[in-house]
Amino acid sequence: MLQYLKKYRLYCLLAPLFMLGEIAMDMWQPAMMAIIVDKGVLGGNIDLIWEMGIWMLLLVIFGGTCGILCGVFASIAAQNFGNDVRKDLFSRIMNFSFQQTDQFTTGSLITRITNDVSRVEQMVMMSVRSVVRCTVMFFGGIYMLYLQSPRFALVAACGLPVIAAFVIFFLRKVSPLFTIIQQKLDQINCIVQENIAGARVVKAYVKEAQALALFSKANDQLCIVNLRAQTALAFLNPCVNIVLNICTVVVLYIGGITIQTDGNITPGQVMASITYLSMILMRIIFMANIFQTFTRSSASWKRIREVLETKPAQKSGTYVSEKGHQGEIEFRNVSFSYPDAPDNPVLKNVSFQIEPGQTVAVIGSTGSGKSSLVHLIPRFYDTTGGEVLVDGINVRDYPMEVLRDKIGIVQQKSELFSRSIEENITWGTPNADPEEIRRAARLAQAEDFIQNTPNGYQTHVTESGHSLSGGQKQRISIARAMLKRPEILILDDAASALDLKTEAALQASFNRELEGTTKLIVAQRVASVKNADKILVLDDGQLSARGTHEELLKTSPVYGEICRSQIKQEVNAS
Amino acid sequence: MRNGLRVQLRRPSTMGQAIEKPKNTRGTLNKLLRHFVQSKGLLLGLMAAVFLETLTSLISPSLQGQVIDSIKDRSWQWFQILLICLLISFSLNVLFTLSQGILAARLSQNIVGRMRCDLFEKLNHLPIPYLDRHSNGDLMSRMTNDIENISSTISQSLGSLISGGLTVLGTIAIMFWYCWQLTLITLITVILTAIITQWMSKKMRSAYRNRADALGALNGHAEEMITNYRSVAAYNCQERTREEFNTLSDQLTKEGIRAEILGGSMGPIMNGISNLGFVIVAAFGGYFALKGLITIGVISAFIIYAKQFSRPLNELAQLYGSVQTAMAGAERVFALIDQPDEDKNGTEILESMKGEISFRHVNFSYESGKPVLSDFNLEVKAGQKIALVGATGSGKTTIVNLLMRFYPIDSGGIYIDGKNIMNLNRDWLRHNTAIVLQDTVLFSDTIAANIKYANPNARDEEMEQAAVMSNCAPFIRRLKRGYQTVLKQAGASLSHGQRQLLNIARAILANPKILILDEATSSVDSRTEQSIQDALVKLMKNRTSLIIAHRLSTIQDADIIVVMDQGHIVETGNHSELLKKQGAYYTLYMAQFAGEQT
Repeated sequence: MLQYLKKYRLYCLLAPLFMLGEIAMDMWQPAMMAIIVDKGVLGGNIDLIWEMGIWMLLLVIFGGTCGILCGVFASIAAQNFGNDVRKDLFSRIMNFSFQQTDQFTTGSLITRITNDVSRVEQMVMMSVRSVVRCTVMFFGGIYMLYLQSPRFALVAACGLPVIAAFVIFFLRKVSPLFTIIQQKLDQINCIVQENIAGARVVKAYVKEAQALALFSKANDQLCIVNLRAQTALAFLNPCVNIVLNICTVVVLYIGGITIQTDGNITPGQVMASITYLSMILMRIIFMANIFQTFTRSSASWKRIREVLETKPAQKSGTYVSEKGHQGEIEFRNVSFSYPDAPDNPVLKNVSFQIEPGQTVAVIGSTGSGKSSLVHLIPRFYDTTGGEVLVDGINVRDYPMEVLRDKIGIVQQKSELFSRSIEENITWGTPNADPEEIRRAARLAQAEDFIQNTPNGYQTHVTESGHSLSGGQKQRISIARAMLKRPEILILDDAASALDLKTEAALQASFNRELEGTTKLIVAQRVASVKNADKILVLDDGQLSARGTHEELLKTSPVYGEICRSQIKQEVNAS
Repeated sequence: MRNGLRVQLRRPSTMGQAIEKPKNTRGTLNKLLRHFVQSKGLLLGLMAAVFLETLTSLISPSLQGQVIDSIKDRSWQWFQILLICLLISFSLNVLFTLSQGILAARLSQNIVGRMRCDLFEKLNHLPIPYLDRHSNGDLMSRMTNDIENISSTISQSLGSLISGGLTVLGTIAIMFWYCWQLTLITLITVILTAIITQWMSKKMRSAYRNRADALGALNGHAEEMITNYRSVAAYNCQERTREEFNTLSDQLTKEGIRAEILGGSMGPIMNGISNLGFVIVAAFGGYFALKGLITIGVISAFIIYAKQFSRPLNELAQLYGSVQTAMAGAERVFALIDQPDEDKNGTEILESMKGEISFRHVNFSYESGKPVLSDFNLEVKAGQKIALVGATGSGKTTIVNLLMRFYPIDSGGIYIDGKNIMNLNRDWLRHNTAIVLQDTVLFSDTIAANIKYANPNARDEEMEQAAVMSNCAPFIRRLKRGYQTVLKQAGASLSHGQRQLLNIARAILANPKILILDEATSSVDSRTEQSIQDALVKLMKNRTSLIIAHRLSTIQDADIIVVMDQGHIVETGNHSELLKKQGAYYTLYMAQFAGEQT
């Protein structure tokens, strides 16, 4: 953390320095007032009163300026610190392998880069401002009080531990309650979310009353815990105040007695002492607040550091090829398992070869390893055994950019960005000319619906494409991959939301326009794979059969079963 | 010293948020007041506590001043009596502060708890068209953010608001009583505070809004890029994305520094003004005391009073923002609560439903001018299996929306057993129909509770029978806790197919007369589909079934297949009849099984 702050050390030093100025002025005031009362009023010296008044006014202006400057430097330091951390975090995440993003989970990475960074930023801000302010006022107050009278300082010394005990006691009591409150809140949100999302089912089964009863119960629980926490907190202020008030009364009493007996204390000093006393005792509460912020932010900083200290898992290769467009793929004894389940291989000893320009389909039931298989080609994941070769070279030997430039992959779940449709299509090829973009859209069977949107290619896609249907999103993703003119085009179940007519047209356009491109199509429907040059049948991570549709119908029982379940009556009907 | 501290554990500062303004303050306030009035006792108690607390906090400084005077005058008897009075006043003050805190907590929980329930009940009775038009996120945020804002404002700010107002007025009154000259001079600080707060808060509001916008843009970008990281990496866009992020991050830093400096200056400036008050009281007070207008004790009291009214002024200025935000939230909550309920007309209940459905001359459109169904006619006999096929947008799903009375028709009529559904009791109608949708709906509860959803009183044997019939018994048995397994996140740990099987089990146990399957198998792989198919065949026995499908393999044995196109029926007949016709169905069928040969 210091390493990030080093750049801004000047600001980090200036801020507390000016803060000291502000505090010094604050501390001086009661002492000067004591002089006004004791020497000016009681001594009958008007000139002294005005002189002191003007001095105090100057102090106020000086102190205020110091305070503002402290804020300026503190925010410059904290914001720039946050900025640097944020940039480093993002840059680090952009170098992660998918395995690493999976491990951290997307949601957690997002919170780290947003909430955690601002929390740490706040902590830095607080450190250079409040911590210094608090400590100095605390000890300065004690010192000033001691100057007025050591006895008063003793009163403060008695009050301090009591207040501290109260604060600690209540915070201990309340903090766990807030965790429970959060859980109850989550529970309520969950119920609401489910009932809104499942409104049709709730209504269809006439379950409104039951849902309300369930909600009321959760709601009551939340209210009870909330009430407990707030009631506990309601005790904190009065408890602290009662100590503070008792101390005040004691100071007054001691002051009175002292003046009565030996008289080496003046009324002005008693007044100033009361001001200092509250100054000291109030700090305890501020310190508790600071402490809480610190605990929370140090957890945040830990989460940030986890990301910063994670080294990119995949090494980029250095192989430079002179050969141009090819598109040959080979799997040699490839095995693969996800790191969280090393004993449960997703792919077992898979070998096959695809010639440039071929159309190859991969079929199999859910969980058979189809997606994992194609993810190995652009190195979304690395094999755990065997090797994947593209154009005869192991994918690990290519520089990552070179490898991924060769491949256009369209994923099962379309990922769209909240930009215009055109920018979504040109995502990988920002400099494409309009004619090219149109061609890609046409090939992806997307042109018709794009032209029917209000602003055509300039229509803005809302957040993650909510404004588009599943099929439309898939077609935009396909156009994006087509625009790249890749050597290898991979469709990972990417046409599942298209109706069959559109899918057929899409395949026709592939065959017509992408003759030189190797096409690898993962699909669930037999109709989508029937006309491929070669079909790979995956069953439980193993390549159980390969061949054309006709061959497989004869040889592969797994393929036969898949076909039968989909086309069972075709034979009967015809 | 005044009990001048407030510990805030939950919301460190409302300053960082952009302040929102309610549109109709008076209307919202009225509705809120109605909620407050429902907890009359608590509200009155709170008011009393606040009043007494303020009163004691006003008396204490004056007593303290008199103590100082008695020290100076060396009247010891008086000194001791006053000291005891001060102690009592302090204690009472603490007592009232405490009761104020407890009462405010109760009041806020009462009101907010009730509001939450009202809101949820309303959500449950909103008509489907309303839900379809509004995003779930928007509705959710009313339940979470808006209610939360109202809650914290009531519990934390209500007391401060009342006591703040009372304190300012009371303090000024007492100060006038002591010495009007000194009071008038001291009031300069009030005017200064008011002017500066207003000026600063205007500047701050725009600065905070700019920062919130910058933060929103940055968070949006980070979220999008991390969520879509696969596309970023697959297209080698990391460098570009990083540059975009850095630009946004620099922008945020710039806005952040501006906002923080402005916001951070507020403290020192207010502190300065408060110190200025101190100086005024000390200097002018000293002058007046020398002239014999006041005593030293009055100076001491004035110092406290001057602090005492500058503090609530600061607080009120800060509260203004959070009150506005809460009001805007309350407005949104009430806007939702004021929505009309789903129509509940119709009272007729038939002894038993046979399951004859007829659509007669039905016209319907979601948006006026864009008819979805026009003059739609369909007769289904009891126990028949009807399939609706057609391209997306041909109006298949609409039929379900209308039959279940999710949406009202524009003209024509839908009849069940010869009775217009609008005259039938809505809940009875729904009790006798069950739906299985493409998007599965499961609740965070046990598997048993999910299956028994429609029929919570079913015996366990009945439930298990339903599970067996729907082919979900085998995978449930494999789970460690079986039927008592608690599903989390709408069953995210189950595969889509398994979730669908549970939905079917639920429909079986509901034992409906009419069964509607809306694309129930379209996002399931073909092998799982087979087991769902088997389950469905059993489920459809002796019931009128409406099947909406996309894959033709699922519907080939339907009694009637209805091919729809743009709200019209193009063809009807059974599978072999339609194939022989070589019309629209034939084309669809060939496209599906013959791939690109069309």
